[in-house]
Amino acid sequence: MAGFLSAHGYDPGPTQRPFLAGAISGIVATIPAIAILQAFGSLRVEAKILGISEFATLAAGWIIMALSGAVYARLFGRAANEKRGGWLFGMAFGFALWAGGGVLILPLVGGGNAPAGEAAIGLFLSLVAWGATLGALHPFIHRPLHERLETAARWLGPDVGAVKPRNDRRTPARS
Amino acid sequence: MLRVVSFKKAILAGAAGALVWEAAARLLALAGLPVFDLVRELGTVLFRHGSPAEWWPAGAAAHLAVGVAWAVFYAYFVWARWRWPPALQGLAFAALPALLAIFVMVPQLRLMHLDQEIARLGWSSALTGLEPAVLGTILLGHALFGLTVGAIYTHPVGYPVDRMPQLGGARRRQRSSSRRRQPDGAFMFATGIECSYPTIEHGRWRRDEMETTRHYELWQQDFELARRIGVSHLRYGPPLHLIHAGPGQYRWELIDEAMAELEQHGPEPIVDLCHFGVPHWLGDFQNTELAQPLTEYAAAFARRYPWVRFYTPVNEMFVSARMSALDGVWNEQLRDEGAFIAATFNLAAASVAMTDALLAVRPDAVFVNSESSEFYQPCCPDPDVQALAELENERRFLPLDLLYAHELSERMLGCVKEHGRFDEYRRLLKRQVPRRTILGVDYYEWNEKLIDQDGRKLALGELFGWYVIANQYWERYRRPMMHTETNRIDASDAPRWLWRQWHNVQLLRRAGVPLVGFTWYSLTDQVDWAIALAQPNGAIDPVGLFDLNRDPRAVGLAYMHLIEMHRDQPEYRECAALKELVD
Repeated sequence: MAGFLSAHGYDPGPTQRPFLAGAISGIVATIPAIAILQAFGSLRVEAKILGISEFATLAAGWIIMALSGAVYARLFGRAANEKRGGWLFGMAFGFALWAGGGVLILPLVGGGNAPAGEAAIGLFLSLVAWGATLGALHPFIHRPLHERLETAARWLGPDVGAVKPRNDRRTPARS
Repeated sequence: MLRVVSFKKAILAGAAGALVWEAAARLLALAGLPVFDLVRELGTVLFRHGSPAEWWPAGAAAHLAVGVAWAVFYAYFVWARWRWPPALQGLAFAALPALLAIFVMVPQLRLMHLDQEIARLGWSSALTGLEPAVLGTILLGHALFGLTVGAIYTHPVGYPVDRMPQLGGARRRQRSSSRRRQPDGAFMFATGIECSYPTIEHGRWRRDEMETTRHYELWQQDFELARRIGVSHLRYGPPLHLIHAGPGQYRWELIDEAMAELEQHGPEPIVDLCHFGVPHWLGDFQNTELAQPLTEYAAAFARRYPWVRFYTPVNEMFVSARMSALDGVWNEQLRDEGAFIAATFNLAAASVAMTDALLAVRPDAVFVNSESSEFYQPCCPDPDVQALAELENERRFLPLDLLYAHELSERMLGCVKEHGRFDEYRRLLKRQVPRRTILGVDYYEWNEKLIDQDGRKLALGELFGWYVIANQYWERYRRPMMHTETNRIDASDAPRWLWRQWHNVQLLRRAGVPLVGFTWYSLTDQVDWAIALAQPNGAIDPVGLFDLNRDPRAVGLAYMHLIEMHRDQPEYRECAALKELVD
């Protein structure tokens, strides 16, 4: 799969820092998501289901969203840098996170209890909004984090033209 | 980027799909059939106890928004993945939202409608399933949605030939990096802006790579990126089909600012005047009167931009003629030997006349005649296969033979006589080829082909390599040469390919061939290039130094490294063969 994505040009490439940019975008995108959770009372319900405090739910949520942002950026690779379609990719990712986390994992962890009513609406909207914000923000957050062309170019000298021995996973030497 | 998407068409398709669903549901309800009212279900999530005047607009808006989001998703991830009729592609795609609706969304909507904040779920509730009416409506609704989206969302790239595309991108105030002063006659490190503009669908639909790759919008950024990579020259083809609006009519305003930017800041352009297509009003390459209007265009261009020194009058004549008249893919879309001969002669005549016209305005103009290098290897001793390979290996030289006044092989001469072009050939044979002429030899991984037992041409990859194939062209024409195009469609292998091509160039130079330049083509990724632009799919081929977000690819960095490493070396800082041409 990694080879396929790389051949098709989705690989982020030597100047990009997708994990960092994705994590930062994930953290920033959590702000509107929390506002929605609060507005619908979903945060309180989630904390109740999980049996922890709202603060702990919030802290755990922020960490998960940062990690999810990093996963999103790496998964979508160069596509995540697209300004026009980023919102959609992010929203799709947010939807998947909701379907996996909010619909499946939360009831499993909560002993079969799931948010309902307005709390369920809030949980759904917050994750879709988180994804859309993540996707829309990511291209703008990522670009200033790129490594300079001049320094990154040093990694790609004439030795990349050589056939590597099997199992040689060393990166090309700086030349 | 995943692919080039037409947002307008996707939004229209999504909205139409949602409306068709809603209309069908209302009709079924009117007919007295049990129907799952999705709009009501969505609307009452927000207006639980509201009146229809409240929940219907909210539900309809939500349904439209969801429809649009799915249609954009379809445009990015699904469209043109299967070779089925568009409506069937949409129908197959609709299985995904239908499954999500059945197993996730509808059960969750029911939870959202509860007047409690926590619900207890069990395996039995998850497996109960939906009532037949709900299931039926969801399946029917999604089928109609998919069919509608699929039928509407087609042709995301290109435009009808008689329509002018939207061209944005006025020159912005920005700091352009200054031109690196290279000595006149330094080896040319080049890239290019992909600018193909053939028509497909029997002349009704225009492919325009500059539009699809957003160069019309981002030209200033593109030139800046070329400068940052360090190239000294840029193969650049202003859109003939848009500029040359009619006899004596030119829309120079479309490129004035871009040309001014190139003049002030570089890189030095190698201007490509005709790239795989002609304006709608000129028809196609079967037009025997093609030379006259193209010559007028060339002369007008040179008068408008007198500082331009390097020209490619007609790019890849062999490919243009072959794809249009022999393989039936572009422009006239014929599959006929006679049509191929006609297209080749028309293009050669145009190229010769354009060259003369340019020389009349700019006597020191340098011509880079870019041509695709080809080689055909027979698979076996079968006489038919061998004869076909021989024919192809002779036919590949026809356009350049005409351009460079080289005698044709006996077989090609017979062909030319058979199709009534012998007198024209004799006229071209007497031509004095301009001294400042460079033979551009393009090379890709499919330029060397195997002819199999069924006569099919299969790409061989790098069998003998550019060194051997280019040397065949050198032996025939003995003109200064340039590697004018190469790239690799496998992005992960592109840096390796770049360096290997470069080593071919170095070896041929050491063998004494006057090689004056090297090109990675193109600056950015291209669209539908792997299928020769034959269908307007919007699929991105990652062949550029930069992707379509204008983020550098590994090969862009490798090329930067290569240029930095070599341009100040004495044999490249002063390229004797080029110096002799430009002096």
